[in-house]
Amino acid sequence: MLMHLTLWRDGALRQLEVRLPPPAGLELGIDNWEGASVSTALQYAQRVFEPNLGYALSCRRGLCKLCAMRIDGEVRLACTVPMHDGIRIEPAKPRLALHDTVIELSLVREKGVRARSVSDVRPERKE
Amino acid sequence: MSDAAWDVLVLGAGAAGLVAAFHARQAGASVLVINKGLVGRSGATITSGGGVSIAGQSLRALGIEADGSDTEERFLQDTLSAGSWLNDQRLVESMVTGVGAEVGRLIDWGIKFTVNRRAPGHSSGRGIHISGVDMQRALTRIAVQAGVSFREDFQSTRLLKRDGAVVGVLGLDRRTGEVCSIYGHSTVIATGGATSNWSLRTAPEELSGEGQRMAVEAGATLIDMEMTQFLPCCLAAPAIWRGLQFPWILGPQSGVHAWLMNRYGERFMARWDPVRMELATRDMVSAACATEVYEGRGSPNGGVYLSWKHLPNDIIDHFPSLSRSVSADWQWEGFDMTPLVERIKQGYAIEVAPAAHFSLGGVRIDTGASTGVTGLYACGEATGALHGANRLSGNAGAQVLVQGRIAGVAAAQDAQQRRARDRVSDNHQQALAETDEPFQRSSGVVPFELKESLARLAESALGPVRTAQSLEQALDTLRQLKDSSLGQLACRTRERLWNRDWSDALECQAAFTVIESALLGAIARRHSIGAHQRHDHKGTYTGELTHTLIRQSAGVLSHHTAPVAFALQARP
Repeated sequence: MLMHLTLWRDGALRQLEVRLPPPAGLELGIDNWEGASVSTALQYAQRVFEPNLGYALSCRRGLCKLCAMRIDGEVRLACTVPMHDGIRIEPAKPRLALHDTVIELSLVREKGVRARSVSDVRPERKE
Repeated sequence: MSDAAWDVLVLGAGAAGLVAAFHARQAGASVLVINKGLVGRSGATITSGGGVSIAGQSLRALGIEADGSDTEERFLQDTLSAGSWLNDQRLVESMVTGVGAEVGRLIDWGIKFTVNRRAPGHSSGRGIHISGVDMQRALTRIAVQAGVSFREDFQSTRLLKRDGAVVGVLGLDRRTGEVCSIYGHSTVIATGGATSNWSLRTAPEELSGEGQRMAVEAGATLIDMEMTQFLPCCLAAPAIWRGLQFPWILGPQSGVHAWLMNRYGERFMARWDPVRMELATRDMVSAACATEVYEGRGSPNGGVYLSWKHLPNDIIDHFPSLSRSVSADWQWEGFDMTPLVERIKQGYAIEVAPAAHFSLGGVRIDTGASTGVTGLYACGEATGALHGANRLSGNAGAQVLVQGRIAGVAAAQDAQQRRARDRVSDNHQQALAETDEPFQRSSGVVPFELKESLARLAESALGPVRTAQSLEQALDTLRQLKDSSLGQLACRTRERLWNRDWSDALECQAAFTVIESALLGAIARRHSIGAHQRHDHKGTYTGELTHTLIRQSAGVLSHHTAPVAFALQARP
């Protein structure tokens, strides 16, 4: 099972190909990768092949929308999309990319504050 | 570095944390919400079915048509009865009497909801419904508008203390890879449950129990940590559907009479509740399913069968039109469930298993949300003893609204009266060293491997059915792992930013506290009650009811008990 990853790392997009072994015996409860989500495959890849691999994941059921990424050219939620051979995975929006497939999706970050800068909010008492 | 400290720090940005933050801000405090993930895109609130329990009487007082015979007393009674009278009755009273004002506030905020007609487990169709996604979205907006500040992707690991008081928090900023200290006069723990430590779970990824760990280390008490609510009839496989509660929703949760069977086709619920059968309470259905597996009558993948075959397909076909969560074309949450439904209509049973769903135990608080540690408050699922041995549907929604407000107001008042002198703590060096350690170590135990071992351990010993043998064995294994592996965790990459190995390692630190606390409580509780079913001590328990209390001293967790106080209602 081959994954073509396009990752945002150190300020540039780069390619990474990951070949996943047959999943039987990996305690994923599946005999083929089609029974797993893209998120599960990315988790496996981080654990076994590429410790630095960045992916976002929270609810695992399509509700929190944190794991949005571009899959085969379309922005989708990685936790709900089944794997297939030759799948292409990229950051949903390269200009919002933070690390690998992780993009800036904050709902509360002040506009204009650069995504990568250290959060520097200061306490302010309400009058 | 600025000398400024926040008035109130709130750890966690689910409903409990955001409600606390809103009220602390309303009370005039400067408030920083610190969240492990993104605010509004993480935590358990989003995944909630979306109920808020409220007595019909309280709804009528708000001008909403509801069952007038449903009093606060009945709501309290149902909650105690479902919790097997293990609840802290004062906390229950606080919830049932306080939720009316909170639902009134939801109305003032313009939050839309519907009124329930039926509410599983309750004696009345009490409560209101708002989806978890909508609740999270609304509360995020309310907190932003109130002028709350946020720090995201910040994994809190240690509370900072000075002269016995909590003065802030230390943690890992995942975005920058820095270990940072944030100071505040008062801190609220709203980090949610600890169910991510179980392998099969409904919870999102991040509920590792850092809040419980930090609290007990700072001197707070954990209560009834062995009590974890399991949601019956979840999918264990395939991986993409693992932990989904869809079969439960298409079945018993909605009152649909699907049948549970073991490998012999026997409807085993008859041995547990011959009247209600599959519609019995969640704790009982989970225990029954787990017992079948334990006694060797489970399905091939470690579950049991749920079957709709005796029902005409029309009942399944009409289901979406009556459901709030399933669309006409079987879209549910983010998934297309058509393949599963087709299989059901062809007459196949579905393999299901109980999944860890909600932490009934947690940080011990009083009705003022105080943990007993100066400067430390807690609210929501991170706390324990409100629900007793089993939680009713919608009661978590009522809990977060009521306790969130109490914690926020209390923390703001505390911050006004008792201001930290400066940004100094007694334990900063140690907290920093322990948090940095897994990153600094260049070789050792791979964090995810330990995390998986711990999840398997929790799954095997701390499922819905427990035995002395498996619990003691698990405690031995846990202590061995603590000696051999916890201090040897090492990241495989030298990159500080977005270092998942590092985050995994810090989650392992929390997991040890959570799992050990649960094991100590489960070993000592030699009877079956609610979510805690001892296979070696079956049957109804009529002996003295006690709470499990866990405290930490010099790094060692110790087990204590305290009798349950029947402050309002005697146990029948």
